[in-house]
Amino acid sequence: MASHLANLLLFSALVSAVFALLLRERTRDRVRFGLTAFGAFVLSALVVGWAMYPFPG
Amino acid sequence: MDVAERRTAAAVPACLFAFLLPGAGHLYLRRTGKGLLLLGAVGALFVFGVAMDARLHMYIGLDDPLSLLRSVAQMAIGIPYFVARGLGFGFDEQLVKSVAHEYGNTFTEVGGLLNVLIALDAYDIAVGRKP
Repeated sequence: MASHLANLLLFSALVSAVFALLLRERTRDRVRFGLTAFGAFVLSALVVGWAMYPFPG
Repeated sequence: MDVAERRTAAAVPACLFAFLLPGAGHLYLRRTGKGLLLLGAVGALFVFGVAMDARLHMYIGLDDPLSLLRSVAQMAIGIPYFVARGLGFGFDEQLVKSVAHEYGNTFTEVGGLLNVLIALDAYDIAVGRKP
């Protein structure tokens, strides 16, 4: 896959799922934690990406 | 053999299986659902990483510590790493094979590091620290 966004979403989803399985016991808590972690992964990547935008490559 | 000894005895094979294959320690401890989900998620990370042309060179040496850490992280996923190498994936003299190869490296390295956490989780379950 050459899409950076698709790679970011795939990576975030899989890692969030593993963290949710390891750090929470109940299904409801896992879903909530997994979605929160996924959102945090994606949002932080986008924020850091925009913050780096002015710098030369 | 009392309960504590039985739990300690179960921890050794659980950790061993967990390091050989992601989720296998949980399957051994009869946490079937969790084990299969962990296997699926970490297995997908590794497979996608290899599909993105990750380099799987086994680097053993102290002159380049970062390469050593990267290689150890990839190897921590266990059997899938050696199967992929045996099948000829990620083993090319060419350093950069595609634009996604750094993603592939990251996917495979993080998959291995997550497998260390999974093995520790299996240990905690085996000794009774976690339900």
